[in-house]
Amino acid sequence: MTGAYDIAIIGGGVVGTAIARELSRYSLKTVLIEARADLGDESSKGNSALMCSGVDVPAGTLERELVRRGYIRYCAEAPGMGLPIRKVGAIVLAWTQEQEAILNKDLVDAHADGFAAEALDSAEVYRRWPHFGPGIRGGLWLPDEAIVDPFSTPHAYALDALENGVEIRRSWPVRSADRMAQGWRLHGPDGSLDARCVVNAGGIRGDEVDKLAGYSDFAIRPRRGQYMILDKAARAIHDVIAMPAPTPTTRGILITPTIFGNVLVGPTAEDVPDRDDRRVTEAGLAQLRQAIATMAPALAHQPINTIFAGMRPATQFREYQIIPRLSQGWLTVGGIRSTGLSASLGIAEHVAGLLIPGLFDAPRKARTRQITVPDLSETSQRPWQDVSRVESDPAYAEMVCHCERISLGEIRDALASPLAPKTLNGLKRRTRAMFGRCQGFYCGARVQTLLNAQSSAH
Amino acid sequence: MAGDVSPRVLIVGAGPAGLAAAHALSRQGIGDILIIDRDDAPGGLPRFCHHPGFGLEYAHWPYSGPGFVKSLLRDLKGADVRIECRTTLLSLKDGPEAQVVGPSLGLRSIRPQAVIIATGIRESNRGNLAVPGGRAEAGILTTGQLQQLVARKVPLPQHVKSMIIIGTEHVAFSAIWTARMAGLRVKAMIGCEDRVMSFGPIGALARACGIAVMTNSRVREIETTHGAVTAAIVEGTYGTRRLPTDGLVFTANWIPETAALLGGPVAIDARTGGPQIDQAMRTSSAGIFAAGNVLHGVESSGWCAKEGHHAGEMVARYLRGEIGGVRNGAMVQIAEGIEFAVPQFWDCTLAHTAGMRDLPVNLRMKQDVEGRRIALKAGDTMIQSGARKRLLRSRRIVLRPGAIAVPSAVRIRLDVTD
Ligand SMILES: Cc1cc2nc3c(=O)[nH]c(=O)nc-3n(C[C@H](O)[C@H](O)[C@H](O)COP(=O)(O)OP(=O)(O)OC[C@H]3O[C@@H](n4cnc5c(N)ncnc54)[C@H](O)[C@@H]3O)c2cc1C
Ligand SMILES: Cc1cc2nc3c(=O)[nH]c(=O)nc-3n(C[C@H](O)[C@H](O)[C@H](O)COP(=O)(O)OP(=O)(O)OC[C@H]3O[C@@H](n4cnc5c(N)ncnc54)[C@H](O)[C@@H]3O)c2cc1C
Repeated sequence: MTGAYDIAIIGGGVVGTAIARELSRYSLKTVLIEARADLGDESSKGNSALMCSGVDVPAGTLERELVRRGYIRYCAEAPGMGLPIRKVGAIVLAWTQEQEAILNKDLVDAHADGFAAEALDSAEVYRRWPHFGPGIRGGLWLPDEAIVDPFSTPHAYALDALENGVEIRRSWPVRSADRMAQGWRLHGPDGSLDARCVVNAGGIRGDEVDKLAGYSDFAIRPRRGQYMILDKAARAIHDVIAMPAPTPTTRGILITPTIFGNVLVGPTAEDVPDRDDRRVTEAGLAQLRQAIATMAPALAHQPINTIFAGMRPATQFREYQIIPRLSQGWLTVGGIRSTGLSASLGIAEHVAGLLIPGLFDAPRKARTRQITVPDLSETSQRPWQDVSRVESDPAYAEMVCHCERISLGEIRDALASPLAPKTLNGLKRRTRAMFGRCQGFYCGARVQTLLNAQSSAH
Repeated sequence: MAGDVSPRVLIVGAGPAGLAAAHALSRQGIGDILIIDRDDAPGGLPRFCHHPGFGLEYAHWPYSGPGFVKSLLRDLKGADVRIECRTTLLSLKDGPEAQVVGPSLGLRSIRPQAVIIATGIRESNRGNLAVPGGRAEAGILTTGQLQQLVARKVPLPQHVKSMIIIGTEHVAFSAIWTARMAGLRVKAMIGCEDRVMSFGPIGALARACGIAVMTNSRVREIETTHGAVTAAIVEGTYGTRRLPTDGLVFTANWIPETAALLGGPVAIDARTGGPQIDQAMRTSSAGIFAAGNVLHGVESSGWCAKEGHHAGEMVARYLRGEIGGVRNGAMVQIAEGIEFAVPQFWDCTLAHTAGMRDLPVNLRMKQDVEGRRIALKAGDTMIQSGARKRLLRSRRIVLRPGAIAVPSAVRIRLDVTD
């Protein structure tokens, strides 16, 4: 495969796909390149799924600016793409005087910076959340913090980009890069392509991608985050983002509802040498259990659906590593460590602003095409709940995944979409099938059959 | 489909319990029965299980799983029974009123005179058990999933050639059988108890087949490389061992399938995880009955079919007005060492109803117990006691008290005695 492009984006995580969508608004020839068979299959697949307003990101940083901008844009644009947002709010809890002092300072700062925040005393905390564990002295209530769908988000961005003219290559790991008179030649598994400018959005492998071009301004210091997902009944008990007051070293373990109607406990924060070491450990699980015991002991006996770990693309720097080497046609968007989902649309806008008009004098397109993705949130009207939809297409009435109640119709649609998932995990992230308590006991074989039928048809 | 499609009796689940219930009902002259099942064909779990040993207690023949299903379906020939697959019970309210969804019924509420819940059970998976380690695209399974993959002819990835089985109950041997049929090498069988929970000789047979049987052991971690299982790290009195394998099958640790009942009027027993019933299979909501594995940790298919059959007969009595439709009587008090007992309620007023004699009390122990007996007492009166010398954990222990003719005020107790 060959081709010549204005811009090649390496990396189809939430950051790369957001950039692709943003650039699709301009008259540019853009390609998005992803090494893996499905998009969003690295750092972007295992996170807390919080849409953060930016209130808890240090002021004066680019990260704060882009998270804040990303949040505003996401709230404005996500609904148009069919992406759900639930503003459940966050409560930051203090058990000690020291933590209380931190929260008092955070409250002042939040107000000064124009964020919504409110101090709650102990009685008010327990009035609102009677299930919280004992000893809480007070909390900081952040009403704008939201939960979103972390899987549909990069997919929606990519679909939007595709609809608006961006080419997308999957299973195309960039293996080497040659400097050309104008830009770069990128070599992949079945050929090469030329681009006047490369955007490195390689996330967890961002330093390796930079190295292909001879840059080494930062190194990824992978930081693992382990999680536990509790079954649906837990959300009836706990439906708020709860976290301990941050200490200088860590943000602490959250207990938060997910957009799919479960409760998520995590993440741990462990520096690990191997960026692919997404192991869950006994020690990690113990930390998660401890967090439950302290914050929400009522959840201690709720059934666990699954355990997993995510990997943050941290570096030796706290700040985002957005390095525009425009004269060399290489822009690095690296080290988007723990706020990339929230900041994605802010980062994309920032990157487009660096490239246009800095490098490209491209006009903004007069028209863009709208896309929508299925709303997978538990609180939305599910396809089977829609009588007329079920009647006009009985495939929405036939459940395949029984725990999450995902119909044959939804799986069929995902497999027929322009960016059809290629792997079982890809299909799961696109539909929620097999996400539930049985983890495939009932539906695993049928879902696999449907996927196999699709791949053999192609 | 328009208009009211409410059947006289709705049976949820077309496994052995549901199919046998339909048979009993039609033998009692009850028609207009609708069985729904959310899967794409009737039969429940046995339909994916091609080895012999199904239906013994019910059909007195060691059918294969699919063979037993065929025989249960044969029994329904000519009966006024409709089976609607791909159709899910979503929720159940007092009435009974059932919300269902399926391609031919659409999304609708139906109001039958009686409902029998026969939704079966599933195994705990690696996630439910929170077993640490890596994640794999394929190869970390449950028996049920493995059997469906094999029965539906879904090939496992090329690199998956061996398996380790976790658990030593009967079902673990079903897993071994299926894995071997699928061309997988079963390397070991690992159980945390100090003995094989299934029959001892079967453990010896496994050893003879070259399978390491490791008791007093647990999987501490699943080792994976590039999304593929490479080993199980196992811990026991011997220390820690790394057992290379391409996959693991988690067996047993049963969880009744009650998703449609949550938040509804059918009371759930915290011990079993299934509906609480009395000896007429009645739940806490009038007209709603339950039978089969949804009631308890796994039972054989024949046993479940018998329970289903009994539930069918009880529903027929209810519809004829001979008995009430709601769980009645006092809760059976159970002693410490007993894990659970079904039925949970004992209705002494039923003693005078003919045909109530063959109602067994089915219970399980928390631990193996030697030299003790199980006693069912009403007040101080011994009703029946189990004569077994050894009471083994995870094995069915049955008392057949028959009709207990005691005043309903008297406390019924299950005790472990010398
Ligand atoms: C535990 C945890 C919790 C988090 N919680 C939150 C949260 O609540 N809210 C929030 O906003 N953020 C959160 N984050 C952060 C967020 O997940 C990340 O910031 C974000 O996913 C980073 O996205 P990315 O696109 O930069 O990286 P990635 O998702 O890693 O994407 C990079 C992509 O580049 C591809 N790639 C790499 N090398 C090549 C190559 N040579 N050729 C082609 N393709 C290549 C990779 O395959 C990958 O798909 C969390 C992260 C973790 C790990
Ligand atoms: C791996 C394995 C091996 C076994 N080996 C043996 C053996 O050798 N011999 C033996 O006798 N027994 C064996 N058993 C046990 C046997 O399979 C069960 O005893 C029997 O299937 C229980 O019957 P049931 O009708 O209660 O439930 P199931 O067979 O589980 O049937 C329940 C049915 O209900 C349906 N259902 C569930 N929820 C809903 C809903 N909400 N709406 C609609 N339909 C629903 C399901 O699709 C299913 O078809 C084995 C079990 C397993 C898992």
